[in-house]
Amino acid sequence: MLETAAGDFAWDSAAPIAAAVAAGRVSATHIVEAALARIRERDPLLNSFTAVTERRALARAQALDAARAKGEKLPALVGVPFAVKNLFDVAGLPTLAGSKINRDLPPAERDAALIERLEAAGAILVGALNMGEYAYDFTGENIHDGPSRNPHDLHRMTGGSSGGSGAAVGGGLVPFALGSDTNGSIRVPSSLCGIFGLKPTYGRLTRARTFPFVASLDHLGPFARTTRDLALAYDAMQGYDLDDPACADRAAEPVVPRLDKGTDGLRVAVAGGYFKGKTAEAVAAVDSVASALGANRDIDIPQSERARSAAFIITASEGASLHLDRLRTHAKDYDPAVRDRLIAGAMTPASLVVKAQKFRRWYREEVLKLFAEVDAILAPATPCTAPLIGQQTFKLGDVELPVRANLGLYTQPISFIGLPVVAVPVPLAPLPIAVQIIAAPWREDVALRVAYALEAQGVVAAPRPSF
Amino acid sequence: MKHKAGRKAKSVRAKRSYPARTTAKAKREDSIDALVEANAQALGLTLDPAWHDSVAFNLRLILRHAALVDEFALPDDAEPAPVFHA
Repeated sequence: MLETAAGDFAWDSAAPIAAAVAAGRVSATHIVEAALARIRERDPLLNSFTAVTERRALARAQALDAARAKGEKLPALVGVPFAVKNLFDVAGLPTLAGSKINRDLPPAERDAALIERLEAAGAILVGALNMGEYAYDFTGENIHDGPSRNPHDLHRMTGGSSGGSGAAVGGGLVPFALGSDTNGSIRVPSSLCGIFGLKPTYGRLTRARTFPFVASLDHLGPFARTTRDLALAYDAMQGYDLDDPACADRAAEPVVPRLDKGTDGLRVAVAGGYFKGKTAEAVAAVDSVASALGANRDIDIPQSERARSAAFIITASEGASLHLDRLRTHAKDYDPAVRDRLIAGAMTPASLVVKAQKFRRWYREEVLKLFAEVDAILAPATPCTAPLIGQQTFKLGDVELPVRANLGLYTQPISFIGLPVVAVPVPLAPLPIAVQIIAAPWREDVALRVAYALEAQGVVAAPRPSF
Repeated sequence: MKHKAGRKAKSVRAKRSYPARTTAKAKREDSIDALVEANAQALGLTLDPAWHDSVAFNLRLILRHAALVDEFALPDDAEPAPVFHA
């Protein structure tokens, strides 16, 4: 089907596209032109792109086609289009990070490290994606660029802050995209948009040449419509980088060869207590995944509510520190919802922030003990399916909670200590919702193996939107 | 590392020192308002008066979360994790 009309590529994943390009069944140029056509046609509805790098993408595709014509060996992601949250540096573009203020920055001189690594693996950047301002967001709304829209219901949120990444992948514009996750910004849009997301171990993927938010908690990672695509992108991006002080000096550990090892011998438990779903959809999603895995044991992750609070304080304080100079000079150019939180964050007593960092170490030690008993833990990714754009509150049990602060209720305690997580979409009707598969540090392979097995069983899948 | 949970939050103890609950709440509200003003001045932030209530709301929220962390007893030798390795 790959050689027919451009629209036929809309739902192809990266792996078969790369295989077709490598085999000469289709050109990289044709693939990129098809992606650009989809973006022109559908993005006015999804509002996921803030820049399309058409000339660059076509030039890159032509270079790859020329390499193939010469008989050169082609890399794993050859010809696969991708896009990045607009906090990644893209040479020639100012790095917006979802803001108005950064539009005045000079264009980046060099791509973010992860873009360079993906392009070295043959992938082709086609643009930069909408996001919540300065990544301080769980909704995917942006007052400067407008909200990114959920491909399964255009009136609903994508989740944030990597909202454009969720919309672009879930809407079939690109097979995979990159985003960032400080408190849940990969896992929340994955859940609301019904796609797969990988938040790797803290320090695994370099953040060099991306706009930061909270140095203690910032992670980068891929979104895709299949587990294999997550793994392919992840393997292409691993490796030490001196340019990110938090990047671990650790050899790459490829996961693609281990994907199909199955789940035999893996001990999987369901997070209890704080993580017990309080909506029918969150409960149904975790139950279906747990049932497919034969996970009939609950495990308590101690003090998780407190962990979320500690993440909240560190985020407010470090985020404020990052923005203090801009708050002095450009306060009126911020989204008021972001500005007022940052100003309040600047006023947080340092003694309490240090206490939160001490608690973080205590919590890490306690949670790591659990991995002596289990290999993976299941928890909801979001408390509910996608709220309406502009919706201010949602009901959780008997409690009415603000949407903006609480979509990350279940993600924050996990990223707080840097554990690797794969968010897997459960295609419930009418809207999908994801489950987190949480593993021990550096065991992305375990979380991805579980996701791959669930996908093979048909329990998790990225549903194709009808539009 | 030994953990002794269950110590009361300082904010809770402070609240008890006021004779009437409403008075305590009013004093707390006043103190947050004053904190916002003083901090803005100390940090060189120019606060539009229209932003004050929203900033104060967010600071109260942060301090509520902070109280939950603060009330958790940690030993003196607990190390913070500012540069964190998982």
